[in-house]
Amino acid sequence: MYSPVKLWRNQKHTQILLGKKGVIVSWTIIRVPPEGFSNQAPYPVVVVRLENKEMITAQMVDWEESQCRIGQYVRVILRRISEPSSEGVIPYGLKVKPL
Amino acid sequence: MNIVISGIGITKFGELWDMSPRTLARQAGEAALHDAGLVSKDIDAIIVANMLSGMLGSQEHLGALFGEELGFLGKPAMKVEGACASGGLAVHTAINSLLGGQYKRIMVLGIEKMTDQKPERVASALIGAGTNEERLAGITFPGVYAVLARAHMEKFGTTQEQMAAVAVKNHFHASLNPLAQFHTLLSVEKVMRSACVADPLKLLDCSPISDGAAAVILSINKEPRMKDSVSVVASQVATDTLGVARRKNLTGLNATEIAAKKAYEDAGVSVADIRVAEVHDCFTIAEIFAMEDLGFFKKGKAAEAIMQGQTTLGVGKGVVVNTSGGLKGCGHPVGATGVKQIVEIAVQLRGSAGKRQVSGARIGLTHNVGGSGATCVVHILKRT
Repeated sequence: MYSPVKLWRNQKHTQILLGKKGVIVSWTIIRVPPEGFSNQAPYPVVVVRLENKEMITAQMVDWEESQCRIGQYVRVILRRISEPSSEGVIPYGLKVKPL
Repeated sequence: MNIVISGIGITKFGELWDMSPRTLARQAGEAALHDAGLVSKDIDAIIVANMLSGMLGSQEHLGALFGEELGFLGKPAMKVEGACASGGLAVHTAINSLLGGQYKRIMVLGIEKMTDQKPERVASALIGAGTNEERLAGITFPGVYAVLARAHMEKFGTTQEQMAAVAVKNHFHASLNPLAQFHTLLSVEKVMRSACVADPLKLLDCSPISDGAAAVILSINKEPRMKDSVSVVASQVATDTLGVARRKNLTGLNATEIAAKKAYEDAGVSVADIRVAEVHDCFTIAEIFAMEDLGFFKKGKAAEAIMQGQTTLGVGKGVVVNTSGGLKGCGHPVGATGVKQIVEIAVQLRGSAGKRQVSGARIGLTHNVGGSGATCVVHILKRT
């Protein structure tokens, strides 16, 4: 599913954003997930304005319903993205966690 | 600009398991030739609009494929892709090719075959229109529009019932269109009770997964046999960031505003002159955005107006929106949609829309969006 080379290339950007704090500007809860995400659903996906002004879309983990709101503070963390395919690497990348 | 619509053809939209892409292409293409009173040798080139054949059908090289199927051997054939705006972009490309002077008549074929694969596969393929970041976030297309809907609700107080009213209207219009995917009427309550897909969007806020094809033949000259004809008088494309996160504004689509403004200027018409419009309602919130971004209503005012029936056939006095049933009711075979919109407006301006005819329609508009608003195509059509 994921090219290991592509994941490796993305790591530079991952390192820059890791640990940054931000605030949710909009959100949804995905109840019908795409391939590879079914074991995590339902899960929120949020648009976040980070402290460096960069805007990102990311999955929110370790969440409660009350934290799905515009204005909620979050922090960028590293997590496994989705189910690895039988032959691929385990994909790690950015997610956010409520503060 | 005055590009003549010489012929139109369209298939049934829906779950067409017994029809292959070749069959769909032949039906739509031959219908357009028949409508124009032309044969394949009269056409100088074919431009195909499609998004997903590579990912869902392992088939590329669609220009040659459908050129062969329609008997255009030896002629120029190519594909244009811009996610769900592929159809509108292909029409735009055809128009510019005609204006370039090399061709006199071009067939644009919009086609998509989506129901051969399971829904998760289709959802994953569709988010190919978004960014890598969006894919890694596990978001789906309903999810992206849900994020936009949430922002609109927060800023303008738009309600889920108002969004549901878009689906109710478009299913009503679809019930009058024999080729539409759905002929079932909805109520706001029924939409509200449907399963949640991506909060706040529910299943019946979403356009379906569909198969279908639509074709138009565009000409630089008026066909001699035609008394009056329908022409494209403006064709504009605008773009925005690929993903939603980097947009300055999440409560409208900037690409729609840019394309619409240029199109009105080109056509020399104002929004008040538009009597019938096919807008991109991939989700109910998207029609609310479209009505505001195209200038039919002030920001934050469209949802209430739609709920009051101001854009419903036989109710409102102004523009009637999505008489085909829109993407929601007529179906959304993504590559076909932008071409279908042209077909529907041409039918309306010819006065041959039957039960769903908007009386006295002489100027119409189509609005086709790719992705979450990264591409927008606006066409204005006129009966001349």
